[in-house]
Amino acid sequence: MDNIAGSKSGLSWAVQISTLLIVLLWLFPTVGLLVSSFRTADQISASGWWAALFPQEQNEVIRLADPDEARVPDGAMFVVSGNLFDGAERQITAWGTSSRRIAEFAPGETAELGEGETLTIEASGDYVWRGTDDQLSGRAQRSFVTVVSQPEFTLANYDNMLFDPGNSEGMARAFFNTLTVTIPATVIPIVIAAFAAYALAWMQFPGRALLIACVVGLLVVPLQLALIPLLRLHLGIGIGKGYLGVWLAHTGFGLPLAIYLLRNYMASLPRDIIENAKVDGATDFQIFTRIILPLSFPALASFAIFQFLWTWNDLLVAKVFLIDATGDTTVMTNQIVELLGTRGGNWEILATAAFVSIAVPLAVFFAMQRYLVRGLLAGSVK
Amino acid sequence: MSSRLLSGVATLALFAGAATAQDLKFAPGADARFDWASYEAFAAAHDLAGEQITVFGPWLGPDQELVESVLAYFAAATGADVRYTGSDSFEQQIVVDLEAGSAPNIAVFPQPGLAADMAARGFLTPLGEDAEAWMTEAYAAGPSWVALGVYAGADGSDAFYAFPYKADVKSLVWYSPENFEDAGYEVPQTMEELKALTDQIVADGETPWCIGLGSGGATGWPATDWVEDLLLRTQTPDVYDGWVTNEIAFDDPRIVGAIEEFGWFARNDAYVAGGAGVVASTDFRDSPKGLFDSPPQCYMHRQASFIPAFFPEGTEVGVDVDFFYFPAYAEKDLGSPVLGAGTLFTITKDSPAAHALIDFLQTPIAHEVWMAQGGFLTPYSAANPDVYANDVLKGLGEILTNATTFRFDGSDLMPGGVGAGSFWTGMVDYAGGKPAADVAAEIQASWDALK
Repeated sequence: MDNIAGSKSGLSWAVQISTLLIVLLWLFPTVGLLVSSFRTADQISASGWWAALFPQEQNEVIRLADPDEARVPDGAMFVVSGNLFDGAERQITAWGTSSRRIAEFAPGETAELGEGETLTIEASGDYVWRGTDDQLSGRAQRSFVTVVSQPEFTLANYDNMLFDPGNSEGMARAFFNTLTVTIPATVIPIVIAAFAAYALAWMQFPGRALLIACVVGLLVVPLQLALIPLLRLHLGIGIGKGYLGVWLAHTGFGLPLAIYLLRNYMASLPRDIIENAKVDGATDFQIFTRIILPLSFPALASFAIFQFLWTWNDLLVAKVFLIDATGDTTVMTNQIVELLGTRGGNWEILATAAFVSIAVPLAVFFAMQRYLVRGLLAGSVK
Repeated sequence: MSSRLLSGVATLALFAGAATAQDLKFAPGADARFDWASYEAFAAAHDLAGEQITVFGPWLGPDQELVESVLAYFAAATGADVRYTGSDSFEQQIVVDLEAGSAPNIAVFPQPGLAADMAARGFLTPLGEDAEAWMTEAYAAGPSWVALGVYAGADGSDAFYAFPYKADVKSLVWYSPENFEDAGYEVPQTMEELKALTDQIVADGETPWCIGLGSGGATGWPATDWVEDLLLRTQTPDVYDGWVTNEIAFDDPRIVGAIEEFGWFARNDAYVAGGAGVVASTDFRDSPKGLFDSPPQCYMHRQASFIPAFFPEGTEVGVDVDFFYFPAYAEKDLGSPVLGAGTLFTITKDSPAAHALIDFLQTPIAHEVWMAQGGFLTPYSAANPDVYANDVLKGLGEILTNATTFRFDGSDLMPGGVGAGSFWTGMVDYAGGKPAADVAAEIQASWDALK
């Protein structure tokens, strides 16, 4: 017995450790995205997110203060002095004045820039630049410094996205629009699918098997195929582009899976209960509302989560059926794409937007998660 | 509660919309550099109060604010309600909208090839002969701009369908003047000098070029610009025109020669930052950043006039970085050819307001408002070059107005399957080491398949 128990615990350890590893591997990109959302665009392009967590030696180019504004007379010469980092705590380990020799001088040394012009930079970033009237004018001298910088994170991306007056109004509008799209687009297919699933599972009528086969067949039709004909139909019958159109489209695209999932679940409910009810004189509608619906709640909830996530993340259907040329109706996903700019290079916005838009689906998921686990088994066990 | 919240948001949005229409960037009549007379005359001639006009284009983010600031003048002058929406997938979305019948009044095409397709299927409305005659006169190199907007309609007869407005110059090399000073390099005036400088930089132990072709689904397009620019510098403009219409085959030795010219720069490990192997995988938005590194990763970057948007934050164009014209061969006597791109305004749903907007684009003020805010170049010679936001833009504008040969980005003129398909992927293959002749033959085969 001991032997068996020992090997069992060893196995469960192995399972737990490998689960942990898989979870870590799975989360790895998300962590990277989270770290990136707290960095500036220049930081993201300069180094990877994993490097952001540790102090780093960097080479930077910093221009001294504009001599035309900052210079003060000193005898026959002029002097510009200040701090390269505007007072921030950083340590210079080497510096230079030419792009060809960026570590020519140690902190505290004085560089001769020719004809009496000199520059001294201390380890703290304090500098003194001395020269004649002619030398200290026009374009400011560049300094090339090697500094050790501490990890630096910023909330500016979130601030820009949520509170910048130019964006926040659009985001708020898009948020409510998305809810306006998502909630009906989740409820309508569930209502229709529940009725259909009951009929296909428990009512006897000719052609039932064929109808089920059709629904299963519709599962494999790609929705892209239907975009233009469906939009043309909507325009033809006067729905046009708008909420009604996008609800109908989401309902249509979601129904095959909903019916299939719910029918399988309902068909697996014990036959005895339904037959008993029939013997007691219950109508089909009473059986559906009193018995089937309460029993099917896990399957309904799990499909609701799926459908909610799809419609929340959807961009394609919204672009085709909702967003018209007046620009009044926009959704979160579209708003985020717009924030990326014409040529789409703003990675920091992308990372930040991902976490902002993830918030609501996450809340929905955790609220209904216990149904999801049960519902995933829908139809698989009796 | 929630309905009250929603209506609150709706009113807020309404007010915000009204506010942008009223907020004109430059008060009419205030700044003498602007042609306010043209604005007043346009306002007096058009009254569209209560009409709505929708404009759909490729601009988003800061560019969207700029185009909206120009449209605000149209709205203020006519009283029309102008709505602009942008999309990053304009090319796909406009086709869906036109096919289904839910088109905006005005669509702004970035690619003449696509606009020509739409015209052939009868989705565009001709702009009329007046607009065509106006452009021939008013734009520098007018006939070549008009040619960009003349397509065969559904009935097969040619008409002027697309109004070019807003141009980009592509034949530019960006560099840091101070890095050149530190190393003692001079700005090259001819292609021979540029090649000598490239070798010189390598001899000094540095890397001359930053080249990146990565652009998500459009990876490869920066290389098509290189090839087009080099074709204009090795062959006559006739060859270029024949090439974009496929009268001259893609695998013609003259075209293969231009591809190999690009290879001279991009397929040499010593010439490119990171080595030739990373050219195809480096993102074009990240590649110019090598100019600003310490020590610099590279000294030169060939890219269009829009690229300053991707320079590191705080970079001052004209101080930290400058450009020179991508030079022509002195020995070939082909003049100074300029490669460019631009956007074309088309009427996709006819209305009097849509025609009025096209008329508005023919006033100097419609150009000057955007010129003064940056990111905009125009070949319209009556627009005052003094209103350009800075000297760099003014210099770029002069390149455009002084061009002896102006040619539009060839890949945008080719059919989509080639210009936005096999040409891009072919250039990625070429950068990866495939022979130029093989690449050209494959692109030609894909073009034949489309016919």
